[in-house]
Amino acid sequence: MDLADLPSRRTEAWKWSDLRAAMSNQESVLIGTGAMPAEGPIAALAEMFGDGYGASALVVEAPGETFESGITEGDAGQYGSVIVKAGATATMIERIGVSGSRLRPFLPSYARIEIEPGAALHRIIVQANSAPGDERDAAIVLNEVVVKLGEGASFRQFVVAEGSRLTRIETSVTADEGAVVEMNAVYLVAANRHVDLTSRVAHAAPGVHTRQLVRGVARKGGRGVFQGKFLVERAGQKTDAEMAHNALLLEEGAEVFAKPELEIYADDVACAHGNTAGQIDENAVFYLRQRGIPDTEARAMITRAFLLESLPDWMDEVVRAEVEARIDAWLGGAS
Amino acid sequence: MLELNNLHARVVPEDGPSREILKGLSLSVPAGEVHAIMGPNGSGKSTLSYVLTGKHGYDVTSGSATFDGEDLLSLEPEVRAAKGLFLSFQYPLEIAGVPVMTFVRAAMNAQRKARGEPEVSAPEFLKLSKLAATRLRIDSDMLKRPLNVGFSGGEKKRLEIYQMLMLQPRFMILDETDSGLDIDALKVVAEGVNALRGAGHGMLVITHYQRLLDYIKPDRVHILSAGRIVKSGGPDLALELEKSGYDQFLKVD
Ligand SMILES: Nc1ncnc2c1ncn2[C@@H]1O[C@H](COP(=O)(O)OP(=O)(O)O)[C@@H](O)[C@H]1O
Ligand SMILES: [Mg+2]
Repeated sequence: MDLADLPSRRTEAWKWSDLRAAMSNQESVLIGTGAMPAEGPIAALAEMFGDGYGASALVVEAPGETFESGITEGDAGQYGSVIVKAGATATMIERIGVSGSRLRPFLPSYARIEIEPGAALHRIIVQANSAPGDERDAAIVLNEVVVKLGEGASFRQFVVAEGSRLTRIETSVTADEGAVVEMNAVYLVAANRHVDLTSRVAHAAPGVHTRQLVRGVARKGGRGVFQGKFLVERAGQKTDAEMAHNALLLEEGAEVFAKPELEIYADDVACAHGNTAGQIDENAVFYLRQRGIPDTEARAMITRAFLLESLPDWMDEVVRAEVEARIDAWLGGAS
Repeated sequence: MLELNNLHARVVPEDGPSREILKGLSLSVPAGEVHAIMGPNGSGKSTLSYVLTGKHGYDVTSGSATFDGEDLLSLEPEVRAAKGLFLSFQYPLEIAGVPVMTFVRAAMNAQRKARGEPEVSAPEFLKLSKLAATRLRIDSDMLKRPLNVGFSGGEKKRLEIYQMLMLQPRFMILDETDSGLDIDALKVVAEGVNALRGAGHGMLVITHYQRLLDYIKPDRVHILSAGRIVKSGGPDLALELEKSGYDQFLKVD
């Protein structure tokens, strides 16, 4: 497989995240890798480069288990599958590039996740870029999960991402009858950072409940991408689904691209989507300043509140504090 | 306390040409006094409140405004606030995700910091908040909700006065605080406002109707028309206006 096999901006699903261009100075990693499999680029790359947690899946049987993984120095990404057995509940926390250590420049991860009937999985991704110096913009982070959600099962995900040269976090869910899906996210893109949040939920059976709230902020030279699709199949009667993506462009020269999509084949559904990208409300900033709050703090306060609205209430206090601290550090600092 | 001298100001909309709104406005409010400004819609009342508090998009082209002898117009809005200037907005803004109490405490501490005073302690803040809320008959649950989000017009106005009681400003501008209030709410709000009257405090009460002035008795009444004070007088002027309307004053030009 070589560069030409990778998706570029001419590939519809990757039009705002040109993987081929981003990889062009790392062509050497692809040497001797054989042909590109049909599964999709992230799965293929993760299988080739990631550390397998095996052909044998990670199987969760007990309720209330928590698994934490961290991709830091020396890690090459991950490839594997997870099964949450009927009635079990689990929390997965993935930290990518949080430790401050050097990252490999290319980090593909892929997992197939099966959540059996009545089971529940909470998944949290904290993607940051605290590597020292210039290295922090270099990494290409690709993360994809394909989730099969059984009857009455639930999948709740929260992502906070600061991006890198190119970060793409992709989530595909197929939901069975009465399942619950939640996929909230916050992205924070500073100069030279790129975050792409791509998701797809297939409502394949009746009565699936789906909520997605993505909030993002971008500074000059930063690029945020949101591609969200809700598919309601003919069998997906009584689907109740809401998608919202709202971005604040904090500076001139910030970029946000969004493609919210609803594709509905059932007739008795409640589906809504909203998408906005704009500047902070100057009238609100003035209101805060009139009360004595200095300009910089007024903006941070409004922006922070805007972002925190997407933090789910199920998140445990310690993780929530970690996420809030990331947001505060980002708002308060240069990056 | 507040001295405006031949103030000319224009609005500079983001789209469209700028327009002169205040056309030589002079006004003096001594410490301890309450002055009312009345005038028809569009006469420039809210523009005056924004010029005094430093909103972007309102440019002073000539004239002066001083507060305790200091030039007001060169100061940032937050600096004016820390010096004790408070505006009760005609249309209070909704601030999503910021609970009322969190916001007011941040504002209070920002002002204290600017003045070199220590922060308010949590128990002290709660005590003050409880007092202010009781006085204005504000439900304590409301203070935990995001600022003004989903509040009725009347609730928003009440919240403005709650903030005013908490921040204890020295000079207050009330821009149509009576609109959206029923008579009972109006009385409650007026009581709150009157609590802040007194030596060393000044107030500019902007209103379209005389009604509010039955409860907040002004020392002076000014009529604003087309960006200028066209007549000033005692409290009786408001009554006269109520009886015979603005028209008699608008022919002045
Ligand atoms: N931001 C603005 N952009 C455009 N025009 C404005 C703006 N603010 C005020 N104006 C205009 O200035 C005039 C005075 O408005 P305002 O001060 O709100 O009057 P009042 O409060 O007395 O009703 C009006 O003609 C209004 O349309
Ligand atoms: Mg007005």
